[in-house]
Amino acid sequence: MEQPNALIERMQQNDEHAFSKLYLLYSEAMYGIIYSIVLDEAVAEEVLQDTFIKIWNNSSSYNIEKGRFFTWILNIARNTAIDKTRSKGFKNSRKNLSTTNFVDILTSTDNLNKKTNAIGIRNFVDKLKPTCIKIIDLLFFKGFTQKDAAEELEMPLGTLKTRNRNCLRDLRTLVLGPQ
Amino acid sequence: MTEQELIESGKLELYVSGALPENEMNEVEEALASSIKIKKEIEVIESSLISLAENVAPALSAQVWQYISDAINTIIPLRDKEEKSFNWGAVTGWAAAVLLLGGLLWLFNQNSTLEDNIYLTTEENTKLEQQLNETQTELAEAESILTIIRDKDYNEVPLPGNPDVAPDAFAKIYYNKEQGVAYVDSKGLPEPPAGKVYQVWSLIMEPLTPSSMGLLNNLTASAEGLYKFEDFPDAEGFGITLEPAGGSETPTLTQLYTLGTVSAP
Repeated sequence: MEQPNALIERMQQNDEHAFSKLYLLYSEAMYGIIYSIVLDEAVAEEVLQDTFIKIWNNSSSYNIEKGRFFTWILNIARNTAIDKTRSKGFKNSRKNLSTTNFVDILTSTDNLNKKTNAIGIRNFVDKLKPTCIKIIDLLFFKGFTQKDAAEELEMPLGTLKTRNRNCLRDLRTLVLGPQ
Repeated sequence: MTEQELIESGKLELYVSGALPENEMNEVEEALASSIKIKKEIEVIESSLISLAENVAPALSAQVWQYISDAINTIIPLRDKEEKSFNWGAVTGWAAAVLLLGGLLWLFNQNSTLEDNIYLTTEENTKLEQQLNETQTELAEAESILTIIRDKDYNEVPLPGNPDVAPDAFAKIYYNKEQGVAYVDSKGLPEPPAGKVYQVWSLIMEPLTPSSMGLLNNLTASAEGLYKFEDFPDAEGFGITLEPAGGSETPTLTQLYTLGTVSAP
């Protein structure tokens, strides 16, 4: 997806309408990320709200010339969600869910209401090797740095990079169609 | 590192995920800014990951956006207000003026309608009052007639129709002999033809002496179909004849419509 720079610039000029369009484009993906971390719908919605309020309030600190908007808001979403899991009330109420990953969520829920091709994604996930699941979960969903992920998986950094790329190859075929 | 090497290194995937350390991130961002190919590659990776993340999300409530919208509207930065060239004060003022004018016109219109209604209602009231008056008058007349009929001093004298002249006609006279007052009820008499008038006569039987009491006209009418006569000689009987307009000195016996005698008390 080409980055909607015009919308982003308007949001940076406090255009709420543009912001609402960006919300439509990115909110569901952010909600997926957040949910995979907090594993509770009500809490995830709350974190999603906080995330987008932070995006609005800090929009001037993002620079179109420099990096990707998606990566910028992904970091905000994950950090906000992780902060939530570290809060006292949250820790007390949920202790044993930390081992759940995105595949568990995908296979345990119906995705009938999804706009993107759910069956294809399900097939993709079904064929994923356990190592791939672990890699994608840590790097994308849980926001580990490459160094922390390599240590967690006891894998050399170079191997982690190429493995991650290979794990995602089928997904890009799915999204783009065969090339 | 060439474009192709960078693509195959797996750094772009890590970049999109936000997992690269600062120095490698800068390297990718430089390439991103200068190379269309790298940009396209990153867009594909991004789309893939967005698609994956979206499928992990449960159904998203519309209330989330509502909450965000409410929240950012209460904390809109101050400079936003300065930038707006729209003079909201003036707009609000004009809007209020237009609304006020509209409101006044509406009220004026309402007032006119109400005034019209009041006028109509007043007129109707007047009519109703008139009707009431008339009804009360009629009621009073009826009551006075009833009083007369019921009065023990009044004798009812039936005047049956003359079989030769007007077999279907009849009249009644209520006669107070002591006061010399008689009321003639003409309900049973046909309308007099044009140019003719009914004349009432008091009669003494031995010898038969008719004396004119008067005509059934507006002068003697006391109520609907009831005529009052006073100051006439004592009567032993009454007769009603049809006479030329103005009446006659003596009764025209061929036009004697009704005749009756006062029964002895």
